[in-house]
Amino acid sequence: MIAANPRIRDLPPGLLAQRFSEASVTLDYGAALVRVRTLLKPFVRDFQRVYGAFFLAEEASFADFHTEVCSGKGLRAIFGPQSRFLIDGIQPFDPFPREQALPHFEWGVNWCFGKRFNQHVLLHSGVLALGDRGVIMAAPPGSGKSTLTAAMMLRGFRLLSDEFGVLCPHTGQLWPMLKPVALKNRSIDVIRAYTDQAILGPVYGGTRKGDVVHLAPDEASVDARKLPARPHLVLFPRFREGAALTTRRLPSEEAFARLAFNSFNYGLLGQISFNAVADVIDACSAFELEYSRLDEAIEYLRAMLSESTVAAAAA
Amino acid sequence: MSSLGGVDPCMHGLLALLIDPQQVRSVCLADWDKIIRLARQSRLLGVLSYRIQSHPELLPQVPGCVLGHLRSAAAYSAHRTQVLRVELAALAKALPAEVPVVVLKGAAYILQDLESARGRLPGDVDLMVAYDDLKRAEAALLGAGWAAEEINAYDQRYYREWSHELPPMRRPGSSVELDLHHTITPVTARLKPDTALLFTDLQVVEGKRFLVLHPQDQILHAAVHLFQDSELFANLRDLVDIDSLIRTHLHSESDWQALAVRAAHHHLERPLWYALRYCRAWLATTVPDALPLAAPPAMAIRWMDWVFPRCTLPRIPDRPPPFSRRLAAQLGLLRHQWLRLPPALLLRHLAHKGVQSLRPRPAVQHKAE
Repeated sequence: MIAANPRIRDLPPGLLAQRFSEASVTLDYGAALVRVRTLLKPFVRDFQRVYGAFFLAEEASFADFHTEVCSGKGLRAIFGPQSRFLIDGIQPFDPFPREQALPHFEWGVNWCFGKRFNQHVLLHSGVLALGDRGVIMAAPPGSGKSTLTAAMMLRGFRLLSDEFGVLCPHTGQLWPMLKPVALKNRSIDVIRAYTDQAILGPVYGGTRKGDVVHLAPDEASVDARKLPARPHLVLFPRFREGAALTTRRLPSEEAFARLAFNSFNYGLLGQISFNAVADVIDACSAFELEYSRLDEAIEYLRAMLSESTVAAAAA
Repeated sequence: MSSLGGVDPCMHGLLALLIDPQQVRSVCLADWDKIIRLARQSRLLGVLSYRIQSHPELLPQVPGCVLGHLRSAAAYSAHRTQVLRVELAALAKALPAEVPVVVLKGAAYILQDLESARGRLPGDVDLMVAYDDLKRAEAALLGAGWAAEEINAYDQRYYREWSHELPPMRRPGSSVELDLHHTITPVTARLKPDTALLFTDLQVVEGKRFLVLHPQDQILHAAVHLFQDSELFANLRDLVDIDSLIRTHLHSESDWQALAVRAAHHHLERPLWYALRYCRAWLATTVPDALPLAAPPAMAIRWMDWVFPRCTLPRIPDRPPPFSRRLAAQLGLLRHQWLRLPPALLLRHLAHKGVQSLRPRPAVQHKAE
């Protein structure tokens, strides 16, 4: 349901900037609410583009994290201007150039989740869904996970997360942690060439991860941000130039180890995460997937996620 | 409740919840928002979580998003506690069996499995050996792989000559810092407990290689730590430790009398007096009225009542601190150093640190995480 509340992209920029300056912007990522205060104009401009489909949370007497994006101290406010990210007044890392305030903020919010959100098992994975049937895609950096995640959303899958797969240990459900998808280096051009439907933010050159562009989550994913999904499929994708699509079913113990050790807080949560990941592996079939053509991989996944196939595979 | 120094009204809410978790029934969501931030700032979110979660019947009254943060803090505290246990086991192996080693503060609460340790987020491991055993213990640790972090010659001298502990050590790959003490306050400090008495009454912990202080010395150590030794700001946690130790260790009128006598023997009446004052005012600790403890002069109490809450209680950092709080911080810092160093040495130390602060230095790691 679309609320009377306008989407962020439809707000007058002056109004958005004013809300930001009053610290009355609360972002609803699904699993978490983040309050943001800023006076930085470049940040507000870029934010409005990549968070365009989001809403400003109305009833926001509570936020999980209270953040601020502000300018550098002293002369750095004028010369070589910087942006600083603060959470509860703490600055967890060094300032960025001001033009990169948005990627700085994105990393800052990731830091908050990674450090202070241990009520969930945080899988290092993309999560997408068809209806409430979720696929967990876990892979080390550089294996093309973000590219595949982005392409799946652009082909109608619901995006839950690109980086933080949020698994609730009490319900076994996957919660959306819906952030812009950070595309890096080569995957930027891949997605540009893939469709002209993608809403992309500016290119931030020379960050510590190279060039970064953010893909805006679509309306359907934003509107479903409060709907958890059930894990149905665990996938370890790998892009290889020119490869034909091949899959390998993984034995449970291997799938368990690969998923668990790809988690941000598996060791920290001990028994809680052991049980939660074991339940996921019990409920899902797990595959390794090698591909070179995005659409081929996506059609395969669409088939896998249809209920009958999952049931047959699990039988 | 008196003398909270004009802090956020939600500070009362946090204290009320620490005293009586049943109060969750009357906390609204907007207050939870602040209470969680205040608790986290003073490293008390895990303790708050433990106290609330000890009453399962209250959990339906706690909003889901709040319960999430309570669970998160409980998990983090449990993890750090486990890491600390592993570290203690490694230390037990590394230290020569014939050297008596005392575990202090948070690690001691864990070792004794005290109520005070539940939900507590432990920091460093603090160990104490007799001065004559110090070199031997240090050598054994260095031999077993612990290493001191690189510090400059001045700081090295500060630790070795004027402090009560060696420069912090760490085992490669471990996230736990080790402070090796030979007494519980800096050797230059004004408040100097009777180290011989500390060592006379050490307690064995059943099944462990380590010793701990006498229960009353544990309370006095926590008090002296709060008022003289610890980091000065947002250390409400130290007061919560004292309250919890009192509830655990003191059961009768005669226990209280013995504590007062022992405080006098250690010349620690003043920090104990203040600790009890704020424990009673903020944490509703039951303290008998007729204790043989001399009260400080009325002016000193008024001064302390102004400075202490402004330094000790956490605050919501959305706005810069008000002038009164910044002033209190400066006064508190001055008093803190005054208690630790004699005037000539203090002047020299401040001059040195003043010059140093003009030089660029590397970013500081944030302990709160």
